[in-house]
Amino acid sequence: MSGITPDISDFATKENLDYYDDLTFGKWLKNIGITIKSCLTGLAITGKVILTKKAVTIEYPEVREELPSNSRSRLFNDVDNCIACLQCAAACPVDCIYITATRRDKEAPKLKTDDGTPIKLDLKQYTIDTALCCYCGLCTVVCPTECLTHTTDYEFSQYTVGEMKYDYLEEDIRAWKHRIVK
Amino acid sequence: MIEINGKDIGDLTTLNYEKMKSDLLTLNMGPQHPATHGVLRVEIKTDSEIIAEATPYIGYLHRCFEKHAEKIDYRGVIPFVDRMDYLGAMGMEWGYALTVEKMLGTEVPRRAQYIRTIVGELQRIASHLLFYGVYAIDLGAFSPFLYAFDEREKVLRLFEELSGARLLYNYIWIGGVWNDITDDQLRRITKFVDNLEEEVKTYHKLVGENKIFIERTANVAVISEEMAYQYGATGPILRASGVDWDLRKKRPYGIYEELDFDVPLGKGEKGQVGDCWDRYHVRVQEINESIKILRQCLDGIEEGSIMGKVPKVLKVPEGEIYLRTECPRGELGYHLVSDGGKTPYRLKIKSSCFTHVSMLPELAPGQMIADFVATIGSIDIVLGEVDR
Repeated sequence: MSGITPDISDFATKENLDYYDDLTFGKWLKNIGITIKSCLTGLAITGKVILTKKAVTIEYPEVREELPSNSRSRLFNDVDNCIACLQCAAACPVDCIYITATRRDKEAPKLKTDDGTPIKLDLKQYTIDTALCCYCGLCTVVCPTECLTHTTDYEFSQYTVGEMKYDYLEEDIRAWKHRIVK
Repeated sequence: MIEINGKDIGDLTTLNYEKMKSDLLTLNMGPQHPATHGVLRVEIKTDSEIIAEATPYIGYLHRCFEKHAEKIDYRGVIPFVDRMDYLGAMGMEWGYALTVEKMLGTEVPRRAQYIRTIVGELQRIASHLLFYGVYAIDLGAFSPFLYAFDEREKVLRLFEELSGARLLYNYIWIGGVWNDITDDQLRRITKFVDNLEEEVKTYHKLVGENKIFIERTANVAVISEEMAYQYGATGPILRASGVDWDLRKKRPYGIYEELDFDVPLGKGEKGQVGDCWDRYHVRVQEINESIKILRQCLDGIEEGSIMGKVPKVLKVPEGEIYLRTECPRGELGYHLVSDGGKTPYRLKIKSSCFTHVSMLPELAPGQMIADFVATIGSIDIVLGEVDR
């Protein structure tokens, strides 16, 4: 648009306002008739839906929807199977996975994951900032031992952002394995 | 007698109205306004109910995706392009995947092509159903919104089972798709499209043929063929203005060449060609065309792998490419420049909604405010795509 302020009278008498100028009494009556008819058509459709269709909504806190099995919700890492390969952290587009690991003692008893991969590094920290996470699922795809998974648990809101950071080495979070991972 | 700051300005009955200065009233519509479909702010100058000037202000949802893409590897960009047009995310992914595949020279397996077409067309249906619902809400009808969302929910549920997410899928990957589609899901889609075909007829009867709806949309915000060309309009808006241009027909990608479908055009049935009603009607007809495409895909889907041969570490050869696809809201273009590294050197995204927003200043003058709401609704913008 040009920067010039338009003359007000240009718009007040704009032609499109004279739309009803050619409206005769007959046309007016006809319009009312068509309007009532089309409104009744609409009411018939809504009435039919009321009588035939069942309610599609659920009453949330009482009835909880079960998400499909590969639904991408809260992340869970089974730290006993994690070999600290850092592939998940590298694949993450928003860099929300923080891993610290140290080399395992040679004298220490040899550990293996469930699928037989030897564990050569001791996991010291495995934290995911779920407030930063974009739930894209790229980290779960690259995981070689399939210990990092998306669960179908969707109720994990917190009051502060800090509480959304989960350290998966903590005892209470390890217990999720039996509670939310299926 | 009225006193302001101790000064006598006369009596209410003796106020000289003729000497009162009249001026345009500046009004801010948005950024938090239900009719602007997101965070769009439109500064309107009005003379009573009539708009003299409208200036859209964008940028409230700018998230630097183009710059982000330069920092992350090619696979990691997909969750970002999802978040542009979050109501048509499959189209966004498809365009990006095609762009990178063309640079890599990857062959996509036939089954993956079919699955992509199926999800792409389902996404178009979901997006147009959402348009149908919210456009009716913009104009004051509530029930159509509920019916459209009921149908849309079925599509989203299917996408959730396929990819794991309802809106931001990360499903179409470079070289193919993430998960395979099962026979049970294909049967459900068949059932869904059979049901939808009947529903769309009812929906059109409920809204499109309603006299009040016609009065509100016909002859409102007419975009002529010339104007559509001048502004670079694409998608349903261009087709509503009577221009036969659909990339799926004119520059086919994927398996669209083999599919038989029509391109619905605006004919000006209730008013002039290119008015709000035409834009509504083109979208409703496009749902039917998508159903036609889906039926052919469901019949022709082939067995096979769903992932082409793509190296584990993606390095795109040096060069640049511009590729465009037909998304629910219009043409989406990706301009990818690669320097041979693991990340894009530059990724410029051409969004259709951005060009459509730029039409508002020309469409608005002379309209009523209520008609302006109908105009914004009819161009069906998603601010995530405008700002990127």
